Amino acid sequence: MAKVGVYVCHCGSNIAGVIDVEAVRAFAEGLPDVAVARKDLFMCSDSGQEMIKQDIRDGLVDKVVVAACTPRTHEPIFRGALSAGGLNKYLFEMANIRDQDSWVHAQDPEGATRKAKLLVASAVGKAARLRPLEEKYVDVTKAALVIGGGVAGIFSALELAKMGFKTYLVEKEPSIGGVMAMLDKTFPTNDCSACILTPVMVEAGNHPNIELLTYSEVEDVEGYIGNFNVKVRRKQAYVDWARCTGCGACAEKCPSKTPDEFNMGLSNRKAAYIHFPQAVPKKAVVDMAHCKSCGGREIGTEPKISEKTGKPLLAPCEKACPADAINRTLQWDPAGEIKEIKVGTIVVATGFQVMDKGWFKEMAPDNKNVITALQMERLISATGPTGGKLLRPSDNEKPHTLTFVSCVGSRDEKHHTYCSRVCCMYMIKQARLIKEKYPDVNIYMHFIDVRSPGKDYDEYYTGARKMGINILRGKVGGLEVLPGDNLRVLAYDLDACAPVEYESDLVILATAMELPPTAKKLAQTLGLQFCGSNFFKELHPKLGPVETSTEGIFLAGCCQGPKDIPDTVSQAKGAAAAAAVPLCQGRVKIEPIISEVHTEKCSGCGICVPLCPYNAISLKPYAEKPRAIIDITQCKGCGVCTAACPSAAIVLHGYEEDQIFAQIAALTA
Amino acid sequence: MPAIVLDSDKIQDSVKRIMEYGGTGVLKCVQCGACSAVCPGVKAGFPVLCRLLIKKLLEGQFEELVEETSTWGCQACNRCTEVCPQGVRPQEVVFAYRRYQASELAFSSSATTSQMNLYGTGHAVFTEAGPLREKVGLPAKAPTSAYDEKAQKEIQTLLDNSPMGELGLF
Amino acid sequence: MEKYGLYLGCNIPFKAPDIEQSFRKVFPALGIEVTDLPGAGCCPAWGTAPSFDLTTWCAVSGRNITIAEDLDVPIMTGCNSCFGVLSEAKHFIEADASRKKAVNEKLGLINRQFKGTSDIYHISHVLYEKVGLDKIKESLKYDLSGLKVAVQPGCHILWPSDVYHVKEKNSFFPTQLKELVEALGASAPHYSRLEACCGMGGMRSTDVEKSLELFKTKLLSIKEEIDPDCIVTTCSSCFLQFDMSQKTLKERGEIDFEIPVFYYTQLLALAMGFDPANVAALCVTPRDAIIAEIQSEARKVREQEPLMTLAPSIDR
Ligand SMILES: Cc1cc2nc3c(=O)[nH]c(=O)nc-3n(C[C@H](O)[C@H](O)[C@H](O)COP(=O)(O)OP(=O)(O)OC[C@H]3O[C@@H](n4cnc5c(N)ncnc54)[C@H](O)[C@@H]3O)c2cc1C
Ligand code: SF4
Ligand code: SF4
Ligand code: SF4
Repeated sequence: MAKVGVYVCHCGSNIAGVIDVEAVRAFAEGLPDVAVARKDLFMCSDSGQEMIKQDIRDGLVDKVVVAACTPRTHEPIFRGALSAGGLNKYLFEMANIRDQDSWVHAQDPEGATRKAKLLVASAVGKAARLRPLEEKYVDVTKAALVIGGGVAGIFSALELAKMGFKTYLVEKEPSIGGVMAMLDKTFPTNDCSACILTPVMVEAGNHPNIELLTYSEVEDVEGYIGNFNVKVRRKQAYVDWARCTGCGACAEKCPSKTPDEFNMGLSNRKAAYIHFPQAVPKKAVVDMAHCKSCGGREIGTEPKISEKTGKPLLAPCEKACPADAINRTLQWDPAGEIKEIKVGTIVVATGFQVMDKGWFKEMAPDNKNVITALQMERLISATGPTGGKLLRPSDNEKPHTLTFVSCVGSRDEKHHTYCSRVCCMYMIKQARLIKEKYPDVNIYMHFIDVRSPGKDYDEYYTGARKMGINILRGKVGGLEVLPGDNLRVLAYDLDACAPVEYESDLVILATAMELPPTAKKLAQTLGLQFCGSNFFKELHPKLGPVETSTEGIFLAGCCQGPKDIPDTVSQAKGAAAAAAVPLCQGRVKIEPIISEVHTEKCSGCGICVPLCPYNAISLKPYAEKPRAIIDITQCKGCGVCTAACPSAAIVLHGYEEDQIFAQIAALTA
Repeated sequence: MPAIVLDSDKIQDSVKRIMEYGGTGVLKCVQCGACSAVCPGVKAGFPVLCRLLIKKLLEGQFEELVEETSTWGCQACNRCTEVCPQGVRPQEVVFAYRRYQASELAFSSSATTSQMNLYGTGHAVFTEAGPLREKVGLPAKAPTSAYDEKAQKEIQTLLDNSPMGELGLF
Repeated sequence: MEKYGLYLGCNIPFKAPDIEQSFRKVFPALGIEVTDLPGAGCCPAWGTAPSFDLTTWCAVSGRNITIAEDLDVPIMTGCNSCFGVLSEAKHFIEADASRKKAVNEKLGLINRQFKGTSDIYHISHVLYEKVGLDKIKESLKYDLSGLKVAVQPGCHILWPSDVYHVKEKNSFFPTQLKELVEALGASAPHYSRLEACCGMGGMRSTDVEKSLELFKTKLLSIKEEIDPDCIVTTCSSCFLQFDMSQKTLKERGEIDFEIPVFYYTQLLALAMGFDPANVAALCVTPRDAIIAEIQSEARKVREQEPLMTLAPSIDR
C-alpha cells in the first residue's frame, strides 16, 4: 500500500485566511493511503521542504501531496524536495487550494474548506497510484534564428554570433535596419541614427557566424526547443545577388515609379530599387508588382532582336547592370526559394508599425500637410525626400509654424488604450532639431502630459522649453483645412482653461505604435500569444520579459511592446543571453509526462495521427503491421490521442486511467 | 480664488449624483481637454462645459455650481462625444448636470416659457402661423399636436407624471 | 414606392412653412410618398425634457415615434435638432432594457407602446441614400451651373456618429450636402469652418451675444474664403440663424454684406421649377434676386413641369 504524505500550506493568510487549514489536515489524515498529514505556514520555505524530506528519509512516506498554491510556479520546488529526499520527483501531486479555492471563494469560508478537502482527496487518490517516471535528454542544434532585422534583431544576432553560435538573421525587407534606419537623429543625445546604426549593421553583415537571410520570411517552424526545423522563404528579387554590387544603375534607368516605403510615401522609388543608401546587404531587387516589363521583357522569355542592329532588345534595368546581375530571360520562380535550416533557439524581433493617419478623421487626414512623425523623421533626414531640408509636402515651401500632436491613437479607447512610450520624446527631439536648425520657426507642441522617464530624458524636455519651443498641456481636438492647405489647429490649454486656435503650416501626428497585421501569421507559425495590448506576450511581465510560453522562443524589441532604442537593445541582449542558455547546455530535457503507445494493443487504425496537434504520431511497421508510434521529442503531453484511441492503447504518463478514475471517485464521493 | 477643499464624501456624493442624472461616463475622464478644444460652447465663452465641468464635479463641486450658466450654453452637438478618447460622452455629463440644476429651478425665465409652451401646445416653440402657412399654400393648421386636443392631453399626461410635473411649472 | 412619415417639429411648421411646403413638393416628385404624423409634437427640444429628466425625454420622444410605428412608416425630419433628439432617445430606450420598461410604463398611461419598428432619418439622408443623386439630376428644370454655394450641414446630423445609421465617411469633413448641391449643377467649395456650429439653439436663448459672436466667426470664414452666391443648409435651426442674424450684424455695422440663405429642399424645389411663392417665400435676408437668377430662361434645361410621380401631399 502507498504511504502518502499530505502537507497543507497556510500560505500566510492567503489560504488560512479563508480555509480552515487544520480541518483540512485532519480530514486528510483519515483518507485511505495517507500515512502522515501535516501543515505549515509556508510549505515552500526551507523548513516546509525539510519536513517533506525528513518524512521521506524516515521512510514514513513514498508519495507526496502538497495542498497549496499553483503548480505553475511551485511544482518545481516541491519536486526538488522529493529528489533531495531520495524519491522519484514525479511521485508528487499538488492540490491548488489557493488560486482555485481560497482566492475565488473568499466570501464563503465553509464552502472553501469543503472544496479544499475534496481537492486534497482527489490529489491523494491520484498520488497513491503514481508511478515513477524517467527524464530523457536530447542534444540541441547549436545554432539560433533571429526573426526581424531591426536594431533588436541585429543586436540579438550579434550577441549570439559573438558567443560562437551560428545565427541566421531573417528580415523581410531587402535590407536589415528596421525603423531605426529611417530615423534622423536619436534622443536624448541627438546622435545621428544612421551613424550609430550603420557600423552595427555592417558588423552583422560581415560576421562569420551570421548568415543574413534578407527579403525573406519564416514560413514554417516544426520541432521544439533545441531542435527547430525552420523553412524560410526568400522572396524572388529577380536580381542575382551573387553578382549585384549595389551600384544602383538599374534603379537609375528603371522608369516605373511607386511610393517609397522607406520614405513613408513622401517620395517615389523605382520598381528596380535599393532599399536605402546604407542598406546591408546593399543589393537591388525588382519589385514585380510595379515592374512594367519594359519592351515586353516578360520574365522567362527570349528578348526580341533589333532589326537594325541585330542585337537583343533588353529592358533598361538589364541593359544598365554592369555586373550582368539582371537577366530577364531566366526562368525566375516568382515564389522565390525555400531554405531549410535547423536551429536550437529562436529570437523574435519583428518590431512594430506606426498607425496610418487615415484612422484619425478629426485630423484632416486627406491634407498633405498633416503627416505622421515617422514621415517627419524622413523629412528632416539627410537621406530623405528633401535631402534634409524642412519643406512641407503640399508646396515644397518652408513651413513657418509647426504643430506637434501627441497621443494620436494611443491612450484612446477607440484605438489603443496603451501609451506608446516613445512619442513624447521623439516629438521633443524633432522639435529641438528643427529649432536648432531654423530658430525662426514657431513650434507648438500639444501634450496631454509629457512622459519623459529615462536617463537624461526630462532634462531633454525642459531643455526644449528653454529653447523657446511652446509646450501646451491639452489634447488637440481637431484640425480645419484653410485655403492654401494651411491648417487651423483646434486645441485647448488645460492650464489656462481656455480653447486655443491658430494657423499652422505643417502638423505632425505622433501616431501610435502597434504590431503590423502580418504578426498574426507569424504568431500562428510560432505558437506565440498576444497580450492585452496586442503585442507578443512574454512569459511573465516582470520575471520572464524575454521568454515566451513556448520554450526556446524568445522576444526582443518593440514586438513585445513599445520601447525606445536603449530599452530595445537591452532586451535584445537579454533575449540573446536567454536563447544561448540551452545552446550552451548542449542538451535539453524531454518531459516524461508524455504519451506512449502500447504497440501490442494498437490496431493500426490511425485515428490518432491527424488528431495530434504537434504532428508527433506516425504509423510505422511493427511485426509487419502498421502501428502508431509517438515521437517523444514532439509530444507535448496534451492527451488528445489517449482519449481518442478506440483500443485504449495509448497511455499518458502521469495521467493514467487508474489515476484519473481515482480522482473522479474522490471528487464525486 | 479660494482654495478648493477636497472632501472625499463630497466627491463620492458628487460622482454618484451626476451618474444618477445620466452622466455615467464621468469617472472615465482623464482630463485631456480634447472635448473642450472643439466645443462650440467653450469657444463662445461658456467655460464650464465638458472637461472643466467634469473636473469640478470630480472635485466634489456639485451644489456649488448650481447657478453656473455655462451648462445652458451647451448645444448638445456631441462633437465632444465624437472626439473624447475615453468614451466619457461629455455631453451626457453636461445634460446630467442640467437636470440637477433644473430640479433646483436654476434656469432662466425664457426657459420657463418653453416648458409652458410644451405643456400647452405640445411645442416648445409655438406661434400662431395660420396666415404664414396659407401664404405659402399650406392649410392654416399644421397636422401637429398644436391643433389636436387628444395629442395635447397625451403630452400633458406624460409631463404631469414626471419629475417636471413635480416642479410646479405647469 | 417608399413611404415616410414627415415629422415637422416646431420651427418648420410655425416659422418657416415654406420649407415644409418644399418637402411636400419635392418628395412626391422624386418618388417618395410623404405621409403626415398626426398629433406629433415637439421632439422635445434639448432645453425642455432632455434637460429635466432622461426618462421623460425618452417618453415624449417615444410618443412621437409610436405615431410613426402605428402607421408602419419610418420617420423623416428636416430639423437637425429633432433628428438628434429622436435618434438619441431611441438609442437610450433601446440600449437599456430597464429604461425601455420605464418608458413603456409612461406610454402605457396614454395607451401607447414603443416597439422600435420605425427608423429615424434626416431628410438629407433620404435624399442622399434613398433618392440618390442621379434621380435628383434627372428631375431638374433649371441648371444651377456657375452658382457658388456655401453648405451648412449642422451639428446634430454629424455627431454622435455611433448613434446614427446613415453616416458621413468623415463626420468632421462632411460631403453629403456638398454632393447634393453639386447634383443641382452648382459648386460647393470647402471652407475651413464647414463643420463648425452656427450658434443657434440653447446657446442663443442663453446668451444671444455669445451666439452671434460664434455665428459671425463662421459667417466670415464663409465670406472671406469662398464668397458664395448663397448659403444652403439642411437644418431648420441653422436656417433661422443664418437668415435672421445676418441682418442683426449688418444693422450693427459688424458686417457689410448679406448672403441669401436656403434650406436645401427650397433650392431643389426652385431648380425643379416649383413656384417660389410656395417653396421659398419667407425670409429676412433678401433672396429675390438669386431666385430670379435660378429660375431664369437661360438656365432652363427642360420645358415641362416636374414630373409628378405622386400627387403632392397637400395642395390647395
Ligand atoms: C517616429 C519615431 C521616432 C523615434 N525616435 C527614436 C529616438 O530618437 N530614440 C529612440 O531611442 N527611439 C526612437 N524611436 C523608437 C525606435 O524606432 C524603436 O525603439 C526601434 O526601432 C525598435 O526596434 P525593433 O528592432 O524592435 O523594431 P523595428 O525597428 O520595427 O524592426 C523590426 C524589423 O523586423 C522586420 N520584420 C517585421 N516582421 C517580420 C517578419 N514577419 N519576418 C521578418 N522580418 C520582419 C521589419 O522589416 C524590421 O526590419 C522612434 C520611433 C518612431 C516611430
Ligand atoms: S509617449 Fe507621450 S505622446 Fe506617446 S502615447 Fe504616451 S503620452 Fe501620448
Ligand atoms: S475628451 Fe473625454 S477624457 Fe478628455 S477631458 Fe473631455 S471628457 Fe475627459
Ligand atoms: S455637446 Fe455641449 S459640451 Fe459637447 S461639444 Fe457640444 S456644446 Fe460642447
